[in-house]
Amino acid sequence: MKESYGVRLPGLELDDLVGKLIVLEGTDGVGRSTQIRLLKEWLEQQGHAVLDTGLTRSGLVGKGIKRAKEGHTLGRITLSLFYATDFADRLENEIVPALRAGFVVLTDRYIYSLMARSMVRGLDPVWVRNIHRFAPKPDAIFYLRVSVDELIPRAVFTRGFDYWESGMDLYSAEDMYDSFRKYQTALLQQFDQLAEEFTFNVIDAAPEPRVIFEQLKAGIDRILTPPVARAAVTIPTTPPPPAAVEEVVVEEAPEERRKRA
Amino acid sequence: MKRYGDHRIPGRLFVVEGIDGSGKSTQLMLLHQWLKAEGYGVVFSEWNSSPLVKDTTKRGKKKQLLTPATFSLIHATDFADRTERNIIPLLKAGAVVLCDRYIYTAFARDASRGMEPEWIRELYAFAVRPTVAFYFRVPLEVAMKRINDARAGFKYYEAGMDLGLSDDPDESFRLFQGRILEEYDKMIPEFGLTVIDATLPIETQQQEMRLMVLAKLTQAKQLRVAP
Repeated sequence: MKESYGVRLPGLELDDLVGKLIVLEGTDGVGRSTQIRLLKEWLEQQGHAVLDTGLTRSGLVGKGIKRAKEGHTLGRITLSLFYATDFADRLENEIVPALRAGFVVLTDRYIYSLMARSMVRGLDPVWVRNIHRFAPKPDAIFYLRVSVDELIPRAVFTRGFDYWESGMDLYSAEDMYDSFRKYQTALLQQFDQLAEEFTFNVIDAAPEPRVIFEQLKAGIDRILTPPVARAAVTIPTTPPPPAAVEEVVVEEAPEERRKRA
Repeated sequence: MKRYGDHRIPGRLFVVEGIDGSGKSTQLMLLHQWLKAEGYGVVFSEWNSSPLVKDTTKRGKKKQLLTPATFSLIHATDFADRTERNIIPLLKAGAVVLCDRYIYTAFARDASRGMEPEWIRELYAFAVRPTVAFYFRVPLEVAMKRINDARAGFKYYEAGMDLGLSDDPDESFRLFQGRILEEYDKMIPEFGLTVIDATLPIETQQQEMRLMVLAKLTQAKQLRVAP
């Protein structure tokens, strides 16, 4: 029961997909991978099978991109297409099969990051949107948003400034700090526009990870539990004690099956 | 990002198109030799040859990992790399650039694999419009005979074996390349391809080609790099 953004790929049926596609978007260092980890654990405890995936991990081109980026020699059109190829490979070999099998697919970034990066590099917005039009529309897009000022200490005190995350291919004359600030500001502007166009659920990523996690859980709950079924199921108001976790999972599994039937 | 037809650059771009066995590569080689002898700065660029992307494509083909979508996108990536790093800078410098296969190859092949034609055209919107695009038209039977005379059997993707049209490589090649021929025919008016009858003697075809190329070069004498 999915549809793409307008382009059908040969041999890739989307209308029989029963799983849920959930996207986490946001700029570099905003805490997406932490949230994916927490969400995966939580969803599995609830009895959902989860596939977590991200960008540049495909079997076909993942290695090629990594190698090409090490040399910093890719042109901006080439880089966009390399990423789009990688995305298509992952879509066909990982995401769609998992959705067909009824998995919850949690993806760390999606086409919106790819589009934002390309547009910051001055590529034609029409062209950029077109190349990603074969992507299935997600069931939800959560956008973890921070300001550049909040982002800088995270970059400085965790990983340092990365060449590509600082857009050094764009502003090579400047130092990494100035470049990072400029690049991330431009990226955030693009994300804000995309957020409107593609109706992102915007979440403020400044608070503690726990607070963000709660918001994400609430948002995902609404997608996974249809309103009718939700009314029928009694939801415990307080979380069960740790010892009872396993029991809960066992009890909830048949519930899930019935809901889907 | 400049779009197809928007580039204003001093160089000249000549491309050859046609199915495998049409003789286009031979013709381009002969043209290349002549232009070099005439003293032009000539550079040759082959389809699917970007050093950055080639390995990925090769691996994908060898292990048969490619679907119509990834086949299409990886070739576009390769072409983009050559366009950004070679074709555009060379044309800006005033060179004569020769391409064995160009975007029309992708349009014909990808459409034959079921990709949406409008989507593929927009995918390649960054390409420079050639000065002349030669299309070497040849009947399927002639092309198949030439390939069979030159080497044993067809390659997997060349014969469109990934589409499951037929288990027999000969039959699959016939069906797939037949589709490609139809796509090329549609593109003649759409992109103003210059048709060369590829059943004519090699010398006759080359003569025709040189005359047309010469007409485009005389308007651009500054391209000569040596006496």
